[in-house]
Amino acid sequence: MRSTRRTDRVLGALIPLAVLAALITSIAVAPEPPDAPRYAGAGREEPQYGGTFVFFHESNVRSLDPHIAFDELSGMAIRLLFDGLLDYDEETRLVPSLAREMPRQSEDGLTFTFELREGVRFSNGRELTAEDVRWSLEHMLSPDVPSPGSPYYAQLEGLAEYRQGEAGHISGIRVVDRYTIELRLTAPDQTFLNAMAMPFAYPVPRESYEAHPEDVASHPVGTGPFVLEAWERGSRLVFRKNEGYWRPGKPYVDRMIYLENTSRNVAVMRFRNGDLDAVLRFSPADYLFFRSSEAWQPYLFLEPKVNLWGVGMNCGMEPFDDVHVRRAVAFAMDREGWSRARQGRYQPTGQPIPPQLIGYDPDLPTAHRFDLERAKEEMRLAGYPDGLPEEVTLWYSAGETGQYNAELAQADLARIGIRLRLNPVSFAAWLEETGKPHRAQMILTGWNMDFPDPSNFLDSLFHSRAATAANASNRTFYRNPELDDLLDRARIERDPRRREAMYREASVVLTEDAPWAFMWNDLHLEAVQPYVKGYFQNKVFSQDYRFVWLDLPRRAVAERHAVVPPAARAALFPVGAF
Amino acid sequence: MDPRAWRRFRKNKGAVAGLCLVGLVTLTAFVGPLVAPHPPDQQFRDTLLRDDGTPVEPLERGSHLLGADPIGRDELSRLLDGGRVSMQVAFFATGLAVLVGLFVGVTSGYFGGGVDMVSMRTVDVLLSLPFLLVAIAIKRVIENTALWTLYLLLGLLLWTTLARVTRAKTLQVRELEFVQAARALGMSQARILFRHVLPNVIGPAIVIGTTLVAQVIIIESAMSFLGIGVEAPQASWGSMLREGQEMMSHSPRLVLFPGLLIMAAVFGFNLLGEGLRDALDPKD
Repeated sequence: MRSTRRTDRVLGALIPLAVLAALITSIAVAPEPPDAPRYAGAGREEPQYGGTFVFFHESNVRSLDPHIAFDELSGMAIRLLFDGLLDYDEETRLVPSLAREMPRQSEDGLTFTFELREGVRFSNGRELTAEDVRWSLEHMLSPDVPSPGSPYYAQLEGLAEYRQGEAGHISGIRVVDRYTIELRLTAPDQTFLNAMAMPFAYPVPRESYEAHPEDVASHPVGTGPFVLEAWERGSRLVFRKNEGYWRPGKPYVDRMIYLENTSRNVAVMRFRNGDLDAVLRFSPADYLFFRSSEAWQPYLFLEPKVNLWGVGMNCGMEPFDDVHVRRAVAFAMDREGWSRARQGRYQPTGQPIPPQLIGYDPDLPTAHRFDLERAKEEMRLAGYPDGLPEEVTLWYSAGETGQYNAELAQADLARIGIRLRLNPVSFAAWLEETGKPHRAQMILTGWNMDFPDPSNFLDSLFHSRAATAANASNRTFYRNPELDDLLDRARIERDPRRREAMYREASVVLTEDAPWAFMWNDLHLEAVQPYVKGYFQNKVFSQDYRFVWLDLPRRAVAERHAVVPPAARAALFPVGAF
Repeated sequence: MDPRAWRRFRKNKGAVAGLCLVGLVTLTAFVGPLVAPHPPDQQFRDTLLRDDGTPVEPLERGSHLLGADPIGRDELSRLLDGGRVSMQVAFFATGLAVLVGLFVGVTSGYFGGGVDMVSMRTVDVLLSLPFLLVAIAIKRVIENTALWTLYLLLGLLLWTTLARVTRAKTLQVRELEFVQAARALGMSQARILFRHVLPNVIGPAIVIGTTLVAQVIIIESAMSFLGIGVEAPQASWGSMLREGQEMMSHSPRLVLFPGLLIMAAVFGFNLLGEGLRDALDPKD
């Protein structure tokens, strides 16, 4: 009896210790991903065919309808499925794609004639003709289709009549013959060819829209290098090589797998283990790892991205209908501190135009910067010397980065007496909700370049035309007729120097009116596996993986597929939407 | 209550260890914020973040004993304040759960019939719900992020086990001679319930309540880890786990400290609960 008591007591003390020890050991001996790439390339120069390329994003794809989708995640998928008449090369120059050559432009800059390639087929087998280009443009611009793309084509002749229902067709679009189409503008829009390279202008077959009037977004039919094989919503998209693709010899890989809702921590771990081919999002710890890892250096792409981030304030909602409150926010943000807290990945800025584009002014006198006194003064001018009486709700895309940013904003604004209520939502919900006029008071927001011109940023973000009732890209609903006029004139100005001056002037207006607190441009890091060849960082279209090829040694191919069947792994990590 | 209980408790080393652990954690959580060296939400971006953006490590800066979190807040102050919140939620929610559970358990056990049927079926339904999921759903719907909503939510969802056990105990007590006697003497129902039934069922309630505290600590941590518990910038041990995980491979201490504290607190309350059960309800 006595001895059992004693055994009990010893066990009672030992078992918790044993459990703890077991836990710690299992963590300690858990396989660490290798520090160097697991699979090197085989060193072949000639592009190889075959294989599966696996990539990911943190959230879910919203739509595969190029006329509707307007976000990075959807764009990555749409680029695999569709082509435009024009495209960009590695130097971000416009080049012909479905068009045989660059369009002929009339003397007055108003008429563009596109010659299509012959024999290009949609993935349903039908040949692409000029008529498809016309139908696609008219469909996208139709008043019944809530396309956020319509502002980019505002100069098309006859567009207003068409959108008001006074005309059945857009008079500025003329099909000359089976392969020739002519587009006529009312003013020499300097960005029209850029607009024609946007996914909104990608030709789509009419029959697929008529077959799926409600849900064409999940039945994409395009001319692109891949076709959609499966879309397990919220989990992954599988793309199969388009055997009839018009570019000879392309694409190279048989399949693309796009994992949705994959947390970046999981993704990086899998990348380091060799079963994911590219990564584009990094936690602070992973970012520090890759920056300091010598073995990975040759496979990193690190450069300033042409984009803009900031804190948007809804000009149609209290308290941000008062310009002083907006300015107070703009001057309360400690941009250098944010940058430090984000490992230097935020390059502070104080104006709407990114440094790589014309119109950026390194000495802009009205640029936003951190100036607490100035911020407090603006709060006094607004009549809130002791801060706002009510909390302000900040909408942002849920996730670790969003959370850090939100808490940084919270701390900065607390100093001028603005209390933030944090409202993290999924990226899809963020896009949806903040695109409505009287919904979100304050947002963490950004813009990636769609084409290399300042009008892409300013017209999309601040023109009243983009402050639509739904799907607005002007999410602060800032409306200023003078700025609208200035932007409209700048867009059709043919003298580059005068054009630049106009955009600098627009930057002055926007920094003074402060619909956003302009915050930073990203320093963007991407990594691809050593065996991924043919990839370049497309500055317009993020993650343009269309024409990569895999230089894997034969054994590594077998191993990679044996160890980690991508499909099985995808099912293992369906990260919830919390 | 049995006067020998305390003696039995004292002789139980596990129980005493649990009590000490609980005392320590509770004390830290409630006194801690008063002695915390810095405001828990203040971001020292210039001094607590190095040039490459990494937070300073423990002992690197004199007045920041445990280093900084990823956005430059004093880790020690956050652990203390986070502990306060975790404990506060645990105590208030458990308190509420005990009150509701006792009330439902005693009334349904004592009165039986329809009252019993309704309340026990309610318990069955609540027990069959996937708890965390329901808590998340409700938290999303009410959209109010104040801390008291968390007490209320957890308290109103977690009284079920307690009600069941109290009911069973009440069923036994109800049939005992002294209760029969009280009834025969014409005592009011309320008096019988409060003077005779309640004191005899309080023992198991205390035991279950103690382990419930441990349960609530875990649940609150899980909810805060998922981002639906306490609201930023308020720290809790769970939210600190969440904020630390992004830097985990660089500074493991960011998840280790709050993780160990959660573990210590839960382990302590479980030991204590076990010890109390042995002390209050000796089977032989």
